[in-house]
Amino acid sequence: MTLELSRVAAQVRAMGEEIATREREYADLVELAQHWLAQYADQGEQLRHPAYAARAAIPTAEPLDAAYPLPSLPERFTVITADGSQVQPDRHGVALYYLINIGSLVYRHGSGQAPQAYSQPTLGYTEADLYEGRLLVAGNLLDVRRDLAELTRLADLCSAEPPGPIVAIADGTLIMWVLEDLPAEGRHKKISDYLAQLDHIRRTGASVAAFVSRPRYGDVTRLLHLANVGGDPQRADREPNPLEYLPDRAVFETLAPGARSALFVSPSPINHDHYRPDHTIHFCYVNLAAEGRAPVIARLELPAWAVQDADRLALVHGAIVAQARITGDYPYALARADELAYISAQEREAFEAMITTALLRAGLRSALSPKAYYKTLTRQGRRKHRV
Amino acid sequence: MSNGNLRVGRVLRASTRGFAIGCAVMQPDIPAFGSFVRAEGQRPGSAIYGLIYDVSVEDDPFVRQLISAELREEDQEVVVRDHRQNRQVPVEVSVLAVGCGDGTGIRHSLPPQPPITLDWLYQCTGEEVQAFTVRLDYVRLVLEAREVPADELLAASLRAAAAARPEAERETFLVEAGRELARLLAGDPVRLEGLLRRLCS
Repeated sequence: MTLELSRVAAQVRAMGEEIATREREYADLVELAQHWLAQYADQGEQLRHPAYAARAAIPTAEPLDAAYPLPSLPERFTVITADGSQVQPDRHGVALYYLINIGSLVYRHGSGQAPQAYSQPTLGYTEADLYEGRLLVAGNLLDVRRDLAELTRLADLCSAEPPGPIVAIADGTLIMWVLEDLPAEGRHKKISDYLAQLDHIRRTGASVAAFVSRPRYGDVTRLLHLANVGGDPQRADREPNPLEYLPDRAVFETLAPGARSALFVSPSPINHDHYRPDHTIHFCYVNLAAEGRAPVIARLELPAWAVQDADRLALVHGAIVAQARITGDYPYALARADELAYISAQEREAFEAMITTALLRAGLRSALSPKAYYKTLTRQGRRKHRV
Repeated sequence: MSNGNLRVGRVLRASTRGFAIGCAVMQPDIPAFGSFVRAEGQRPGSAIYGLIYDVSVEDDPFVRQLISAELREEDQEVVVRDHRQNRQVPVEVSVLAVGCGDGTGIRHSLPPQPPITLDWLYQCTGEEVQAFTVRLDYVRLVLEAREVPADELLAASLRAAAAARPEAERETFLVEAGRELARLLAGDPVRLEGLLRRLCS
């Protein structure tokens, strides 16, 4: 019925010690990874083909250990962000529906104007909304709809802006990796719709990037292991990788404040099977921290068309660092978009009350399922002291 | 004090002794400490009068983070505007109930019923303030109120009431208010002196 903290205390203590030990071991691994990064810096071209087979970061023309300082920015530029949240369909609820809420912010640097803030909810309730074939639109399927809604919002806001330097930023990744786990049926259509929105942004003249905070990807560390076994994907697969659990971001903690790493191409199969050629997703790491502060490494993902244009790439790089410097370590406009998208428990409760009223007006009596009803009884009236 | 039906905010919670109002953004002229305000009562034509005795701006963790990150000069204007115009900055205004009206007259006493959640609270017009302060019976209610800065509140409200009158009548009004204070605080000369000083400042 409740979490017995006393029963888990010993495990929590052991966890703390284990993490501390792992951190100490990581220090040696980071040193090794950085050594390999420098040692194999010029082998990008040889590694490009085997990297794909090994599902490792695919090098570009930039040396693996390249670092690019924070570029200068125009006096005025616009950052547009969008983020989404959703209420999953609940068969125990008063009605079967889903809700997607997209928050977005248009932040005009150097303008002195208040940013424009938006929240746009969309309710899915018809059978056509709720089902794809025999599958209920929930979990990953709903995530895909939310991702598309976020990108569509970014594209719409970009096209509404007057011409000028504009950066659209999405939260997370530009790769629809969740589709890897879904039936192939309909996958192509979903990706086409997504790429159409990337094209829409491109046509407006804006740049686009996705921002990953505290990334745990191991694409570059896998590449370094591959390089260390002579670029042989089979050997890389067979031989233990000492960097297996080391996230890429640890390798790039030596980046100067504001600097970015070399660009790589994402090894995701979705990227290679569906995104080619203009939209192939590239990524790099960037240190968002200000001078004298501990490094804060984030991952940026950009489509090929945005990295092939040096001005666009520099604008994205500089704009994201400028945004992060407002709060200290995270893009301000993304934090606001998340806030505008967030559906609180209170709001959800009020929304459910609206649905109940609408059903009553339509002559229907609705009720929670017995399971949901008893959960409301047992979870609200806990007969234990609060911790 | 010449704002017609200037809305201060909506009622968050209320009792017959007073109520709290929520408003999104602080306006330059409202809400101000010591201002006379009015909420509509439950019966048609009735009103509840009060004095604003506290205006508080709640913080939130995001604001704390921005302050600790030391906003850079170039970001300040946009970020501050975003917080003031777009984010719901929760300004909370506390009001002490000091009178009520039934459409025919005003009584300086606690209202029989409080306003209801989400009722609008208005700033009193100059005419309403003058009408309310024709008598000064509300002074005792303020002096006896607990958990409010009674003396500061009283002085601010009397100064506001004087300012609502034509210039030629202001001194007479303040002298009359001083006499009422002297009568009520005859046994507490130290408090009386402090209040009179505040009234004149």
